[in-house]
Amino acid sequence: MDYLTVALAKGRLAKFSVDLFEKIGLDCEILKEKSRKLIFTDEKNKFRFILVKAMDVPTYVEYGVADLGIVGKDCLLEKGKDLYEVLDLKFGKCKMCVCAKKSYVMSNTFIKVATKYPNIARNYFSTEKKQTIELIELGGSVELAPLCGLSDVIVDIVESGKTLHENNLEIIETICDISARLVVNRVSLKMKKSRITKLVEGLGGIEYEDISGN
Amino acid sequence: MGQWKTHTPEGAFDVLENDCAIKSYIEKKISQVYAKSAYFEIQTPMFEFYDVFAGGGMEVDQTTMFKFFDTRGRILVLRPDFTMPVARVCATKFKNSDFPKRVCYIGSAFREGNTVAGAIQKQFTQAGVEFIGSNTPEADAEVIALTIRALLACGLKAFQLDLGQAEFFKGIAQQAGLDEKITEQIRMFTDQKNVVGLSQLVQSINIDTDVKDLIIQLPNLFGKLDIVQQLKNKNIGERATAALNNLTQVYNILKDYGLQNYIAIDLGMVQGLSYYTGVMVKGFTHGVGFPICGGGRYDELIGGFGKDIPATGIAIGIERVISALGDAKNTIPLPRVDVIVCYENNRDVAYKVAEGMRKTGLVVQMEQNYEGIYEFAKGRGVGGIVNIIDSEKIKIINLLDGDVKTTSISELLGV
Repeated sequence: MDYLTVALAKGRLAKFSVDLFEKIGLDCEILKEKSRKLIFTDEKNKFRFILVKAMDVPTYVEYGVADLGIVGKDCLLEKGKDLYEVLDLKFGKCKMCVCAKKSYVMSNTFIKVATKYPNIARNYFSTEKKQTIELIELGGSVELAPLCGLSDVIVDIVESGKTLHENNLEIIETICDISARLVVNRVSLKMKKSRITKLVEGLGGIEYEDISGN
Repeated sequence: MGQWKTHTPEGAFDVLENDCAIKSYIEKKISQVYAKSAYFEIQTPMFEFYDVFAGGGMEVDQTTMFKFFDTRGRILVLRPDFTMPVARVCATKFKNSDFPKRVCYIGSAFREGNTVAGAIQKQFTQAGVEFIGSNTPEADAEVIALTIRALLACGLKAFQLDLGQAEFFKGIAQQAGLDEKITEQIRMFTDQKNVVGLSQLVQSINIDTDVKDLIIQLPNLFGKLDIVQQLKNKNIGERATAALNNLTQVYNILKDYGLQNYIAIDLGMVQGLSYYTGVMVKGFTHGVGFPICGGGRYDELIGGFGKDIPATGIAIGIERVISALGDAKNTIPLPRVDVIVCYENNRDVAYKVAEGMRKTGLVVQMEQNYEGIYEFAKGRGVGGIVNIIDSEKIKIINLLDGDVKTTSISELLGV
């Protein structure tokens, strides 16, 4: 039997994912050990787990080197890959928002937008708001941009709102809700149908509130 | 030296000897299968007017096309696919021909960007068939069966062709009386096989409970033919029922051909609905994360070029088939030299000997003798060396068993 390969987003989502898989009877002990390994195998159930950067999960699954993946909706929207998005796992909940300094009044002409999510920002402003923007792509600490005058607004994920609050920023528009999703390669679902269907049914039957970190 | 002088553009590749031999072999196998079934090749230009691929709601996404201008300022594109040019030919050059017509094509197509999952290679090779001028299930089954035979001829064994029906989804949406926006949302969730999103959406709209249940089930309606049968007694409306009957007819024809093991059903296949009007096809195999072939019935496309003619067709992605072949590629003969004819002074004799041996079917390389030629030949797996000694005498070195013998030219060539 072939391995079923699952791509997990490194970090917090991976930990939640491990809890999930244990609930449906997979052996994830090795994944919990502190190590720098990137591939883990469950020989008994013929599962292979690979740990990749969250933004790369959609790519691994699209190419089919991973049959399935667990990743945040933010990465799926940003990458726009052609995948099956079969389950909302309901953990890692947050929102994709447009934020600005308190007292900022949204201009309806030309604005500068700083973000780690250029595609989401471009789609939102050009398609939904029909607004021309200058896009400033940053790697992190996006909150700094409006404070330093680099941009008018930012597009970023907001979880508790604590960082925003401490930096005197606020949400001015919500783009969409974000949570972790189970995605499947379009060919794998067909060629490994029974195993994947069983897995999806198993994961679909879990009460997610038990494990959600929210 | 320019910065890019030694590079190929992203998405365009050099294909070297062995890979080229494999590619040509696969192309030849597929072309032979097409030709034997009376599908004859046509060639359309590598570049066309932009207008061919634009407009009528069936256009290719303009961000995926390579565009340039001719001297009169008209927009040209490198062809992003073959079906549109073939449709153009049908409505113009074939306008007064007898239908049905069967044609095939093979060649490079070009797509820019990652917005289309098919575009890992911006230049890629497609082979395909079009059956024009018939809207019968027989025509759909014929191109499907033909594609199966072509894939088998390439050496693929475990693959599956999923059949969908564009009219099924359109029929369900019509029966439920859904507006355009909701229909598109349902189509998107169905395409992603997102049952949860679909059920949330459906709960919020005011339609019949039976129809709700059916819509929520759409993503799971894939598998064998029983998927279709279990919908028999549901209230799905005339249009969707006709779609299922058509799909069943196509399936039964393929069963008569003994090909049902290669066929599966996916009623949740809802991509390209603005283009397809009937049975749709997508082929899968192990080891490749993308479909290896795709196509379907497009009865309204040719009309956009000025003459209403129904048609159906399927294209195979050559590079994808090659990557799916894996170890099965090892049986494909690679290019190799059988004999090296080497000479010092008797150039004329060497030429005659080389040509004589080529006529018997051998691959012969001619070299002026140099030091190390023996090692070179051995390292490259050459079968033997023929050394021209004088106008009559030659020495034959068999590199496989080390046998050396001296003989005459007339004896070697049998003249």
